[in-house]
Amino acid sequence: MFHWLEQRPFLFSVGVFLVIAFAGLIEIVPDFAQASRPIAGKQPYTLLQLAGRHVYIKDSCNACHSQLIRPFKSETDRYGPYSVSGEYAYDRPFLWGSKRTGPDLHRVGEYRTTDWHENHMWEPTSVVPGSIMPSYKHMFTQNADLETAYAEALTVKKVFNVPYDKPGFTKLGSWEEAKKQALEDAKKIAAEMKNQDVKDAVARGEIPEIVALIAYMNSLH
Amino acid sequence: MNNMFQDNINQLSLLAAAIILALTVWVAGKYIKQMKTDRSTGELADENWDGIGEYKNELPAGWAYTFLGTMIWAIWYWTTGYPVNAYSQIGEYNEEVAAHTKQFESKWANADKETLQAMGEGVYLVQCAPCHGIAGDGMGGKAADLSVWGSKAGVLDTIKNGSKGLGFPMGDMPAGLLSGDAAEKVAEYVANGMKGDQPAEFATCAGCHGADGKGMNGMAPDISTYGTPEFVKMVLEHGKKGFIGTMVSFKGRLTPIQEKAVGTYILSLSHND
Repeated sequence: MFHWLEQRPFLFSVGVFLVIAFAGLIEIVPDFAQASRPIAGKQPYTLLQLAGRHVYIKDSCNACHSQLIRPFKSETDRYGPYSVSGEYAYDRPFLWGSKRTGPDLHRVGEYRTTDWHENHMWEPTSVVPGSIMPSYKHMFTQNADLETAYAEALTVKKVFNVPYDKPGFTKLGSWEEAKKQALEDAKKIAAEMKNQDVKDAVARGEIPEIVALIAYMNSLH
Repeated sequence: MNNMFQDNINQLSLLAAAIILALTVWVAGKYIKQMKTDRSTGELADENWDGIGEYKNELPAGWAYTFLGTMIWAIWYWTTGYPVNAYSQIGEYNEEVAAHTKQFESKWANADKETLQAMGEGVYLVQCAPCHGIAGDGMGGKAADLSVWGSKAGVLDTIKNGSKGLGFPMGDMPAGLLSGDAAEKVAEYVANGMKGDQPAEFATCAGCHGADGKGMNGMAPDISTYGTPEFVKMVLEHGKKGFIGTMVSFKGRLTPIQEKAVGTYILSLSHND
């Protein structure tokens, strides 16, 4: 009955592959398509937040901190509601991380504040005795790279259709507009900080890395 | 061990394992017997692979019916049987959390002061200590000093510095509304739970907090509960954007019992009786 098939091993192999692949496809594709949509109300990063995200990546924060809260009570008690995939829709790349030398940071904006981060990044053991995290004092003097952040935002807007400048979404605008907005955001954060050098720098129109990083940390929730 | 057998998935797995084992023994026995006694008979098929031929055999009835059965089962499973909403990881998480919350609330509903204090210390060390310090001293001005909170010194501190960012309709409390002797008297009165004769100077406070200190139905904080876990609960739920820094709201992050426990613990820092 199946001689025609049994005599053609290559055709048979292809057929078997197609049948199994079909089952996989109809299970995986609809789930993927739905889960990769941004959750309602999710905003793309502002220019300042994106620059902070670059600082986060540059200093390899993700080597010790994850950004993924799993649905276990022990995790949600400590870090807040579990993560869902739509929350990472504008993360390119996502920073899930695979090792927690430090705590998870996916919702750190819900329970840590600007002044706490300022103390902590300057000298972690001043607020968390016993912390093994190094201090990141250079972030208070180096300036954030807004140009690269703008280039990324513009690229994802054009290539991946990230909804910058669409009604109800984060405004990006031209380089001048975006830079002006980033400086305004930075001023709000600097107002809550105590380091005089950082305040002076922002008043001069510079954006130290720490300000961008705090903007990014506060946006995580 | 007992729990393992109550789980319906485990029960099904064990049942299936027993059936598979029985079938294996039976089938193996059957074929071993056949190998010993059977002779090959029947009509050979046309194909011949390097001298190896094949008999034209009908499908064994049991095999065919089983195959048919699995097809029918597949259609049923595909259309109606698949437990689409019966199980999910998130569902299991929700059930687990709900069960835990229920147990937690019934277990600690009437917890005594020592228990609450111990529970509060645990929560405090995780949630509050990063800003207020392990000893509650505010780490040299990085956050509010909780070791004096709830006492006369705490009220004096609030009168001197004002209070900002609790988010009540009446707005922020300016610094230095009272000073000197007047502040002392009011602080004494408020720290003692507003018992005894009200000092005349309390009129300054009554403008926002009301003559009874209850905050005029949510217009301002209820200071008649100052120095009790109730007041701590209020601050935890409101969060604060104060003079020192910002405190996030813990609403929904802590259960009411945990909030009360934190309040009990914080009070124990200034009331060492």
